[in-house]
Amino acid sequence: MPEDTPSALGDIRVIDLAGEIGQYCVKLLADLGADVIKIEPPGGDPVRGLPPFHHDEPGETSSLYWLNLNTNRRSVTLDIESPEGRELFEKLVATADVVVETFEPGYLDGLGLGYEGLAAIKPDVILTSITGFGQTGPHSHYRAPDIVGVAMSGVMWLAGELQDPPNVPPWRQGFISTSIMAAAGTLTAVYHRDLHGEGQHLDVSMQEALSIAQENAMQAWDMLQNLRNRNGERGMIPINVPGIGAYQCTDGHVFGYVGTPGGAPWSELLKWLIDEGAAGDLAEEPYFDFCNNLNLRFLTELLRDRARLGEKIQMLAHVEEVLTRFIAARSKWDVYEGGQRRRLLIGIVSTPEDIVNNPQLQFRQWLTEVEQPGLGTLRFPGPPYRLSETPWAVRRPPPAPGQHNEEVLGAL
Amino acid sequence: MAGARLPLDGVKVADFSWFGAGPICGLHLATYGATVVRVESETRVDALRMVAPFAKDKTGYNVSGYFNNFNAGKLGLTLNLNTEKGHELALKLVAWADVFLTNITPRVIERWGLTYDELTAVNPEIIAAYVPMQGFEGPHRDFLGFGQVLTPVTGYNHLSGFPNRAPIGLGTNYPDYVINPGHTLVAILAALRHRHRTGKGQHIECAQIESSVAPLGTAIFDYTANGRVESRSGNGLPYAAPHNAFKCRPLHEGSAAPADEQWIAIACFSDEEWQSLVAAMGSPDWASDPQFATAAGRKENEPELEQRIGEWTSDKEPQSLMAELQGRGVPAGAVQSAREMLADEHLKSRGYYAYLDHAETGRSAYDGPPFKLSKTPGRLRSPAPLLGEHTGQVCKEILGLSDEEIADLLVEGVLQ
Repeated sequence: MPEDTPSALGDIRVIDLAGEIGQYCVKLLADLGADVIKIEPPGGDPVRGLPPFHHDEPGETSSLYWLNLNTNRRSVTLDIESPEGRELFEKLVATADVVVETFEPGYLDGLGLGYEGLAAIKPDVILTSITGFGQTGPHSHYRAPDIVGVAMSGVMWLAGELQDPPNVPPWRQGFISTSIMAAAGTLTAVYHRDLHGEGQHLDVSMQEALSIAQENAMQAWDMLQNLRNRNGERGMIPINVPGIGAYQCTDGHVFGYVGTPGGAPWSELLKWLIDEGAAGDLAEEPYFDFCNNLNLRFLTELLRDRARLGEKIQMLAHVEEVLTRFIAARSKWDVYEGGQRRRLLIGIVSTPEDIVNNPQLQFRQWLTEVEQPGLGTLRFPGPPYRLSETPWAVRRPPPAPGQHNEEVLGAL
Repeated sequence: MAGARLPLDGVKVADFSWFGAGPICGLHLATYGATVVRVESETRVDALRMVAPFAKDKTGYNVSGYFNNFNAGKLGLTLNLNTEKGHELALKLVAWADVFLTNITPRVIERWGLTYDELTAVNPEIIAAYVPMQGFEGPHRDFLGFGQVLTPVTGYNHLSGFPNRAPIGLGTNYPDYVINPGHTLVAILAALRHRHRTGKGQHIECAQIESSVAPLGTAIFDYTANGRVESRSGNGLPYAAPHNAFKCRPLHEGSAAPADEQWIAIACFSDEEWQSLVAAMGSPDWASDPQFATAAGRKENEPELEQRIGEWTSDKEPQSLMAELQGRGVPAGAVQSAREMLADEHLKSRGYYAYLDHAETGRSAYDGPPFKLSKTPGRLRSPAPLLGEHTGQVCKEILGLSDEEIADLLVEGVLQ
């Protein structure tokens, strides 16, 4: 990327005190061009110690989890509780537009470095505070690793099979969602400051950031006192329906949502089975007509017509059997690409390897090569979005602890 | 804080989106002050208007709580984009707007004449945010889907759940609700700022496949750097034990109904947290077994550890157990359903859920602002629009049409 490519946040300095819950927020700001100064305690950011590691060798800059979250930072080490560290921190704040922190509510206030304290140093500063439950309220001091946030937000309740405990989404999704909303809140505050010259305190709670991901469960309880429970692969569909859920292939799985709005109807799936000589008696009545009408409206009516439910459920089970056999004889890529060419709502169940080999992501050059000192050229995860004028970019590899002490602190 | 200034006051948004990922982005822009015109059509009604839950004993396009939750604070305009005059009005709306937003598929956007080149022809400074499934370029660009199909394609299904189960996913259209609308919102806000400073608009593409893969970046990185194909491994973490949900006593005694299940998530990341949990359990003999003395030992013997803890939680009530454990410094959280979310005293004290009066559904709960700004907090200013509720108002006040012109367009079927 040429040096003179404009960035959306090139004039914004962010002081980064963020722990794990807030590091994706800072990454979003940093990858859009903000000048981010990461403040680490003298021993280094503890997140540097979390697996997986490059070639499984732990080290200060070898956690892949940490590396991905810490692009485009400069690192300084200082202890904000020591007199010297605090003095340097205050000088940094005087140059800052945004401070991001994830301490227990009240911790920075106790040091005199809460919003009031920071605004006394830099009147239009924006303080972004990211925690499990927010800055106020009876649970504000609760300890909130990711699992506690997804549990308390209603999201975990909806995931999993009934035989298992509710499922935790993979790779700290609570932290990620909270961070995304924190980045949006920070930019909203920056926009307001640009227009009116006024800074403020942003309060982001993991529980609140995730609540909307309950899909329609909150409204179902509020309007009808219907409680949605975890339901395995069916999601909001009440009974087993052919074409909905996970199917085994020769080399993995696909996942279908056929018959729901937005894709081709079940009749198209039946046509595919017929074209490939795999439909068997589904090509004949009564199944032919039955399959051609398999959609959500049919299911709603079916559930109302209790008298005929048993017979229909038997027919559904037979259709499912034929479909399962058809898919089981094919590879996941064949079913995904073949189904999609027929506009059927079918997705490949991608492994990380499949994602790396996905033709669409390869065409778009999603993976991003970064020269990481000591580790060589690594293929980092790529951009969540593409902006034509102010592009997402990795301009600097993640730093060693204190790598920029002299460059940053010396300039104060 | 009713009446307080809103930070995006004056920002004008033409929201041509539907389903979840697009409309939720528009919702947040409206919550923080933007004027958002949601464009719909009776010829192609947003499918979410027809998805449950519906207000009790009500039918029609306006009573889905699912749709309404994602469209509060917007003005509703119906426009038939398959007509020439409908297309002209769409471009008029684009000329008015600062931000154009859509998650409609590239094929249809091209048919409707709403590509970036066509937008900049009428508004060179527009910020145009496209949120297609796969992007406008590439071999899979016309592949279809929404959350339930995107979730497997982007790796969530393979990576979530227990290893002995099929890759069932997260039970919802997961990336539609925070990941994709949230990333799009971040990009739009960055572009708004760039425009404020330079006068230049730009093209944004938040391809949902890229936006949804990004939060699983570590798993991808583990493959590109180490060649390891990570797989689903239940609720555990390599460096915490316990780290799972544990069953509590059912809501109604003896009930085995799923709705009556109660669970608590408990996690210990340090010896200190483990010792506090042991104390909370009354220091039972089994907990002093040397196999549980270290973090490595607890991880190694996790099945037995989980069984013991599960026996202890099985007759407890999760909310009071959570308070007890948190009081001792042990990370714990009730696995709340929507029922507990709406009754959550903490959320109530923060005023999270908003209750809005809607002409057809009556009063109902909406998700509130996703973040709190101390001086310019967001708020839901009105419930979701009825289908076409503000068509006349938007035509008159925003598009500058006369009553006669509006009447003609109505008769011609353009405003449907």
